[in-house]
Amino acid sequence: MDLLDWALLLGRVAVVFAGLLVTVMLLIWMERKVIADMQTRMGPMRAGPRGVLITLADGIKLFFKEGIVPAEADRPVYLIAPVIAMLPAFLAFAVIPFGTSVTLFGREVPFQLADPSIGILWVLAMASLGVYGIVLAGWSSGSNYPLLGAVRSSAQIISYEIGMSLALVAVLMYSGSLRLSEIVEAQARVWNVIPQFPAFVVYLIAGLAETNRPPFDLPEAESELVAGFHTEYSGIRFALFYLGEYVNTVTVASVAVTLFLGGWRGPAPDVLPWVWPLLWFLAKVLAVVYGYVWVRATLPRIRFDRLMAFGWKVLIPFGLVWVLLTGAIVVLPDVYGRGPVVAGAAVVFGALVLASVAAPLLRPRPAAEVGR
Amino acid sequence: MSGRATELRQETMIVNMGPQHPSTHGVLRLLLELDGETVVSCRPIVGYLHTGIEKNTEYRTWQQGVTFVTRADYLSPFFNELAYALAVERLLGIEAPPRAQVLRVLFCELNRIASHLVWLATSGMELGAVSVMLYGFREREAILDIFEMATGLRMNHAYVRIGGVVMDLPPGGEERIRDFCDMLPGRIREYERLLSRNPIWLERNVGVGVLPAEEAIALGVTGPTLRAAGVAKDVRRDEPYCGYETYDFEVVTREAADCYARYEIRIEEMRQSLRIVEQCLERLREPGPVMVEDPKVAWPARLEVGPDGIGNSPAYVRHIMEESMEALIHHFKMVTEGVRVPAGEVYQPVESPRGELGMYVVSDGEHRPYRVRIRDPSFVNLQALPTMVEGGLVADVIAVIASVDPVMGGVDR
Amino acid sequence: MSERRPRVDLSSAVGAVASGMATILKQVFRRDVTEPYPHVIVPPPPRSHIGRHRLNRHENGLEKCIGCELCAFACPADAIWVEGAENDPEHPVSPGERYAKDYQINYLRCIMCGLCVEACPTRALTLTSYYELSFTSREEAIWTKEQLLEPPPPLGTDPVDREG
Repeated sequence: MDLLDWALLLGRVAVVFAGLLVTVMLLIWMERKVIADMQTRMGPMRAGPRGVLITLADGIKLFFKEGIVPAEADRPVYLIAPVIAMLPAFLAFAVIPFGTSVTLFGREVPFQLADPSIGILWVLAMASLGVYGIVLAGWSSGSNYPLLGAVRSSAQIISYEIGMSLALVAVLMYSGSLRLSEIVEAQARVWNVIPQFPAFVVYLIAGLAETNRPPFDLPEAESELVAGFHTEYSGIRFALFYLGEYVNTVTVASVAVTLFLGGWRGPAPDVLPWVWPLLWFLAKVLAVVYGYVWVRATLPRIRFDRLMAFGWKVLIPFGLVWVLLTGAIVVLPDVYGRGPVVAGAAVVFGALVLASVAAPLLRPRPAAEVGR
Repeated sequence: MSGRATELRQETMIVNMGPQHPSTHGVLRLLLELDGETVVSCRPIVGYLHTGIEKNTEYRTWQQGVTFVTRADYLSPFFNELAYALAVERLLGIEAPPRAQVLRVLFCELNRIASHLVWLATSGMELGAVSVMLYGFREREAILDIFEMATGLRMNHAYVRIGGVVMDLPPGGEERIRDFCDMLPGRIREYERLLSRNPIWLERNVGVGVLPAEEAIALGVTGPTLRAAGVAKDVRRDEPYCGYETYDFEVVTREAADCYARYEIRIEEMRQSLRIVEQCLERLREPGPVMVEDPKVAWPARLEVGPDGIGNSPAYVRHIMEESMEALIHHFKMVTEGVRVPAGEVYQPVESPRGELGMYVVSDGEHRPYRVRIRDPSFVNLQALPTMVEGGLVADVIAVIASVDPVMGGVDR
Repeated sequence: MSERRPRVDLSSAVGAVASGMATILKQVFRRDVTEPYPHVIVPPPPRSHIGRHRLNRHENGLEKCIGCELCAFACPADAIWVEGAENDPEHPVSPGERYAKDYQINYLRCIMCGLCVEACPTRALTLTSYYELSFTSREEAIWTKEQLLEPPPPLGTDPVDREG
């Protein structure tokens, strides 16, 4: 590697970092606008045209606010926790391929910070590191609500990470690679969302829980724990948590796009060939986030014990079964040939569909059943 | 379980939920003893919103009292005014004219819908359904607009007065209310589509905060919380006032006694209230006075809107200032001294959105009340809170408070 | 705790969530209910008395207020202070014998109930829907007779313009 390589790498880091920040800014604005639209409101209108600079205004305001450190707090931990919560969110994005590549100064510059052979594992590792920030924040605040929020959060994230990993395992078995760029390559013909739809659903649900988004926003359930782990935080440190959370949302959506929705793939005209993949990627990420906002607008908050029950008793078993099935689909054709396997799969699938349709019909409806 | 483990279990955490907490409906404070997230004990502590309403009325004339009591339970101002006015009218031995009675019922039922919408909104909010909150407040806004159109104020209207109501509906008012009645059922169906069968909403509400009928009665609980336990108690039907016996409506009950049953009841009560409102609109076709004729009781005001705002109508001003000395004297006497109420005591309940709202009014024959005591349903219903939440989870506490729907203004008065 | 547990089977749960999401999406096409105040000011209904009072004059310029203090009597919040005095026959302030020498309303006490205007026997006092009241001190909250005699400007008038 010569100097130019290093410069290009640094430039990429800077561009990705800044781009991520801008994306998050726009994302927060978009989320507020979208949910306002769904609630027949207008949302932010004042800062900039249609309020597009609202996040910047909020950020500046928070930056100049006093950061309070509670007397009971464990000072060093309290101060470092927001950073710990934010950093992994940015780091996880490093392996996401968000475009093809462009030639600069005679070198090929890919739109991806790093392409390690263990791409998916890196994402998982970073996602689980983020919980440290939350736990430390809750613990070091020295007060009850943050502590409860932190405990909830660690339990929740650890549980849902298993479901998430299972969804990812299914995908990587299907694609045959851990490297994210190769997974995107593998979707050249059919996006993974079609053959791997159950994994996609599991991933989306687990992703909601991972990012503490409604309906899984229990760690900071406003109505129960005031603000959960960041109750005691104010000023720029609060802003870091907020930022981390939304960067996480972008990352989770990006992973969803990369693994299931074909990454940056999409029809592109011949002019400026490197721009279209970028736009496709952005559009897909926004679509996923729109879905998340939609879910947020619709669903109430789930209760903590039910959340854990759902994670362990529904999501994980379902994910496990799907991993088994995927394994069967991937391996069996090699052993028995394609025809019998497809026929067998069709029979099983048909039986399942029949059963799910028939089950509610067959079960007698008790008179006291709720709802009408 | 080993000795050490038992010791560990005994370590409980005391959490003060409130008085400044996003979901304690204002300034309710709950002293929760938590074992993990399980509630071991719960002590509601009230009094943070004490405004001295009861005591204040003892230093004001009878008519001024209306403006105070309306501020007790601020989400159901018409009910406070009505209970007070009915109590004083009973002491006076008079009855408001029929049209005034219909208007009272009309506004009370609209108010019940508004109050239930706020309940829907806040409990949706507290359980995390943010959109429901905005929809609830959106529809409530339509009702508040009707109130503002008719009474000039959005809350704390001071509209129901001793001997009637202060103003008739403005022109076009009936159509406006009819439009609302046409709009609301569709919206209620939307709420139901959002919540009624939603698995998370069911998980959060079904089987949560159960208060069986015997306990509810023992604790004096009334309103939707009692009716959710299958007890069909409704003051409107049991001790009718304002001619409620002539209206056609159902007292909604459920058997399950949990938060979900209370949800169903309130949703259904909105529909029943709409039925009553429609019947009121039918009856309003007949014109008539809205205040008793007796100048020794009737509050002397004939309001009219002009370019300078709202004030006494020029015709009335001419009447008292130029035509009738007697009317002028009555006007002055009524404003300065107010009505003189014969000595006695009376308890007048009405069915507020939260339960039985009673006014116990004592007169010693003077121009001022000797005592006004408000039996506010929120206050009494809060008593049942520990019974409902102990043994449940912290998250259930929120659902239960929301389902009881206390209004702290009424609790602390 | 009760044993009553919700029955949630997968198909009905998915159906309920889907119909909920459809309901939410329907709202996107509804008109926004936000009033973009101060850009668009929705006028309050005619009867609305959510704003400040106004003291009126006769067409000949004389004040309608006769200093009878009925408004102060009627006020349940003791927000009104009236001091009556004899009119100077040469330069009467109001028709009749008496006028209000001093008239103050404390908007920190006023609850906008409207009993004062109901009590006024000459329609000297009316309530308007000019709700853009703000003050930065307790003294400023007390409006004097001169201020009250001034008709309210249209809603949305910039406070700087209002001060002159």
